[in-house]
Amino acid sequence: MMGVRQLGASLLAAVALFASIGPLCIGHDPAAQSLGESLLRPGPVHWLGTDLLGRSVLARLAHAAQLSLGLALLCALTAAVPGVLLGLAASWWGGRIDTALSLLADAVLSMPGLLLVLMVAAIAPGQHWALYAGLSLALWVEYFRVCRATSRPVFAGDAVQASGLLGFGPGYLLRRHLLPALAPVLAPLVAFSTAQAVLGLAALGFIGVGLQPPTAELGLMMIEYLPHYAEAPWLIAAPVSLLLLVVLGMVLLAGDGGAS
Amino acid sequence: MTAAHLLSVDGLGIVAGGTPLLKGLSFGLGPGDALVVLGESGAGKSLLIQAVMGILPTGLRAEGRVTLMGQTSLATDAAQRRHTWGRSLALLPQEPGQALDPLMKIGPQLAEVYEQVDGQSAESAGSAASQALEGAGLASARTLYPWQISGGMAQRAAATMATAGGAQVLLADEPTKGLDVHWREAMVRRLQELLAQGGCLVVVTHDLGVAKAVGGQVIVLRAGEVVEQGRTAAVLAAPSHPFTRQVIAADPAGWPDAPVRPHGDLVVEARQVSKGYRGNPLFSGLDLTIGRAERWTLQGPSGTGKSTLGNLLLGLTAPDAGTVQRADGLAPTALQKLYQDPQASFAPRLSLREALRDVARLHRQPWSTVVQTVESLGLNEGLLLRQPHQVSGGELQRVALARVLITRPAFLFADEPTSRLDPVTQQEALDVLARALDQAGTALLLVTHDPDLARAMGDRQIRLALVAHNPQDHGAPNTMAERLVDP
Repeated sequence: MMGVRQLGASLLAAVALFASIGPLCIGHDPAAQSLGESLLRPGPVHWLGTDLLGRSVLARLAHAAQLSLGLALLCALTAAVPGVLLGLAASWWGGRIDTALSLLADAVLSMPGLLLVLMVAAIAPGQHWALYAGLSLALWVEYFRVCRATSRPVFAGDAVQASGLLGFGPGYLLRRHLLPALAPVLAPLVAFSTAQAVLGLAALGFIGVGLQPPTAELGLMMIEYLPHYAEAPWLIAAPVSLLLLVVLGMVLLAGDGGAS
Repeated sequence: MTAAHLLSVDGLGIVAGGTPLLKGLSFGLGPGDALVVLGESGAGKSLLIQAVMGILPTGLRAEGRVTLMGQTSLATDAAQRRHTWGRSLALLPQEPGQALDPLMKIGPQLAEVYEQVDGQSAESAGSAASQALEGAGLASARTLYPWQISGGMAQRAAATMATAGGAQVLLADEPTKGLDVHWREAMVRRLQELLAQGGCLVVVTHDLGVAKAVGGQVIVLRAGEVVEQGRTAAVLAAPSHPFTRQVIAADPAGWPDAPVRPHGDLVVEARQVSKGYRGNPLFSGLDLTIGRAERWTLQGPSGTGKSTLGNLLLGLTAPDAGTVQRADGLAPTALQKLYQDPQASFAPRLSLREALRDVARLHRQPWSTVVQTVESLGLNEGLLLRQPHQVSGGELQRVALARVLITRPAFLFADEPTSRLDPVTQQEALDVLARALDQAGTALLLVTHDPDLARAMGDRQIRLALVAHNPQDHGAPNTMAERLVDP
């Protein structure tokens, strides 16, 4: 299992490296058009060729990777904070608070995630913050449910009762009892929800309701390159491969969930 | 070995790798004969039963021969005995909760035995199951899943299923563990009936009362070796080996009564408290005043609210009516608790040393005092480097005791702290507990199932009783409890 996780981690590390230093190293502006160089094949100047408007595909890909990974990770972490806190609140107080929060979570879960993102995104079409808010709103539920389910037996357990009797406060409870139980389940969950967010961003871009051109974004690139599928298949292969690598990396990294 | 034996075992041994876990054990049981296996935890008692059955864990190898109903097979050759399971050879495993199928209701689970083993039609198997469950006081459990019933009920359900196939040879691993007095006696009667009907029985037990009741032969095991073997009555009356004497001495029935103590200054007091569980009253109008250094014991069948009463005194739950008051000037941590399952009362991934160090730091006690306490409880400081699951139950319960002693408690609620320990370890642990509490002047409220233990540990006794005893709903908290015994 360790080998698989390492493979996932190195895939992600490679993509992250590309996303972070790629835009600096590649000497092309992702938005610079050059209509004379339209649809060039991959070559020494443009490693992945150029698109219809003569823009460097490699440069666009690097910027798209940075945008997708960065925004997705931000979404996953933003969703984790309320998800974990509400999950803890539900299992700590129980009763009506638990019922209300669980109902809310179920209601969110009953709606297709992308639809929820679409609704929020409709407030400010093409804006980063709207997508970010929408994705985070769709992703917190998983954290809530996992955190509630994991922390409930911990809170109800003798160990927590004993530690209360011995005089320990909530900080100690969090550090010694909850964190060791939560960390092994939350870590893979962050990887999973980041992968989900990357996919969600790309799907929205692909159907034209996410980020708008001329932004370099994976889904947008795919829909832009789709018409040239027959004459220049390497174009669409680039964003698809990158998306595949990111999601595969996340899923492999998450491994078998906290089973170990 | 004569042909009249239902079960005979010749030169049985168990080896793990190169290490022997059980050595050279032989016995023969005719109709109506019983074999009692006594010994400390880890002596190989359960392994003996698993070897005869043919269900040893992988990695362990059995040696010797087993003869069942005249059919001799090698102890290793488990497949040879497999077809006898349920029909002539039955097993009553130690953890009944784990022996039952969690996805099947109790009624159909039992009916399956009548159908598959006995070959009855589905209909008659169903009615036979209902009848058998009624006889075991489990009528209400017929439509429940194993996880919905109490441990004692699961124990009885497993016993009913094990014997439903009409097996003549029953192997029982601690069949009375966790049962209260009433159902303990019922279980003993069931075993005696099997003997009276011409069956034979191998019973592993810590309970000398059960040993005396089934009689027959006895084997005393220590670290995989037979230290004494003979007729039960003779061995118990005149044990020749020191270890056997130790086992017999550890039986609470032989312990002296707790000395009567004077009343101490008030620590915690309950006035006219009532508490219910899901709408059913557990107890009502209960008065209880506990003073410094007093020794209280709390008995009663399962489901009468023993733990609840303790938790009320500790302030962990609020009473429905009445008041619980602590003496003025007590520290918030002056009331402490020892748990039935010590392992569950420690954070699982923390070394014992860290756990104790945290408590010592919180209560501003130097580490040297903690080490002193730990050593006075008969523990080695090196043991503390381990995690909770890496030490034995007896050791961990003492670490738990050391942990509460750091807080200098005025009152300790001990909720069946030794029910998972063997009698020798139990005696040691309670001895240590009593001495440590005496030194600290701490009052004790000890919950126990064992009336002898209650008598030996406390001069003040509380007994919670099911007022309207209804065998069908035994264990369900639907009755009132009272009766206070205070000398």
